Amino acid sequence: MNELNTFLFNIFLFSLFFNVGISLYGIFARPSLIKKIIALTIFSDTANVLAIVVGYREWPSPEQPPIPPVITKVEPSSEDLRQFVNQAVDPLPQALVLTAIVIGLAVTLFLVFLTLQVYRLYGTTDVRRVAKLRG
Amino acid sequence: MRVKRLLVLGSLIVLVLTLSLAFTNGALGYYPLPLPGVRLLASWYLYTTLNPWYPMFTVMSPEAVTAIVWDYRGLDTLFETAVFFLAIVGALALMRGVSLKSVLNNGGDKDKGGLSLICKTATRLLTPLIIAVSASIALHGHLTPGGGFQGGSAAAVAPLLVLVIFSVYFLLSKGVSEKPMLILRTAGLLGIYLTALVAVLAGLLTGLNAYVFQNQPKSSAPIGLPAQVSNTLISGSLFFFNVFEYLAVAGGFTLVFILLSIPEEIAKSFISGESHE
Repeated sequence: MNELNTFLFNIFLFSLFFNVGISLYGIFARPSLIKKIIALTIFSDTANVLAIVVGYREWPSPEQPPIPPVITKVEPSSEDLRQFVNQAVDPLPQALVLTAIVIGLAVTLFLVFLTLQVYRLYGTTDVRRVAKLRG
Repeated sequence: MRVKRLLVLGSLIVLVLTLSLAFTNGALGYYPLPLPGVRLLASWYLYTTLNPWYPMFTVMSPEAVTAIVWDYRGLDTLFETAVFFLAIVGALALMRGVSLKSVLNNGGDKDKGGLSLICKTATRLLTPLIIAVSASIALHGHLTPGGGFQGGSAAAVAPLLVLVIFSVYFLLSKGVSEKPMLILRTAGLLGIYLTALVAVLAGLLTGLNAYVFQNQPKSSAPIGLPAQVSNTLISGSLFFFNVFEYLAVAGGFTLVFILLSIPEEIAKSFISGESHE
């Protein structure tokens, strides 16, 4: 059972790495600016999921998966706290990813505006044609 | 072409499965994944996030992620908010001179266009629900997963739906236009900075020691925000940060969505300088 869990986790991990590769291909090889932005969002989302996976932990016991980093009691006893620390996943990558998502959203919006402006001024979003423009 | 794509896809899947199998059986060296526990720093955060026995370190919030975002790593989030608003300022600068008032005057009918009556009625029913859910996400940010950013993004979905299903003129005629959103965003930002500085201001008035971004009272700095108000946990400054961030993010995103949905001909005529008075 443990072997199977590890295998599934590794599939998840390697799919993320391949996703990074595919999205980088999209960013570099596709000529359309819109497709570049789509590939960039896939890339940043994959990086965020990878960061969250760093904070994941082994199951505390074979029957019980890790719990989210939220205490479910308003007045926990010290025994509750000890159990919580032994079962919860790492909250720090989640907080950093929250930051990264919001900044990524803002940057994406800005890129969309730039692309819209390029399209309005030049009538194309193909970087090969934008690069040939003069003046 | 189709066969080639399927071949690429199939070989990628086979490669992933083989690599995972090899990794699981130790062919690439043995690494215990996932890690058996969390790092020392993480367990310290988890241990002190709601811990009345450690008044020096606790945030008094059961949600460790929000505690990190707005207290342990609060300055990071402050500058992140600054980056977010710089991006919105950049979008505003690109669209400078494009006035929404003239869009409303030139566009004419607010009830023209949009999707079918079924979509419109469903949107009328859904929009208040979306706002209510987003407010609940933001106001419970210190108790359950969620917070100001998530709530604000969810709230911005409501005007986006109206933009797509009705039209930009309908949204403008309802009073959701550029200037009120700018005011909402600025008010949210001012609230965030005031909440960050309130302990220092109180310290200056009373002559006691206090810090920027202080949440709970410390032994060396006895000024802090209350963890509970009439037996309801508000976790000091976290509640106020979440509320103001909610307003700021919802206003900022709605502003950008409105700017993005200005009709193409009108924006072009402004850029090419035809509509300058």
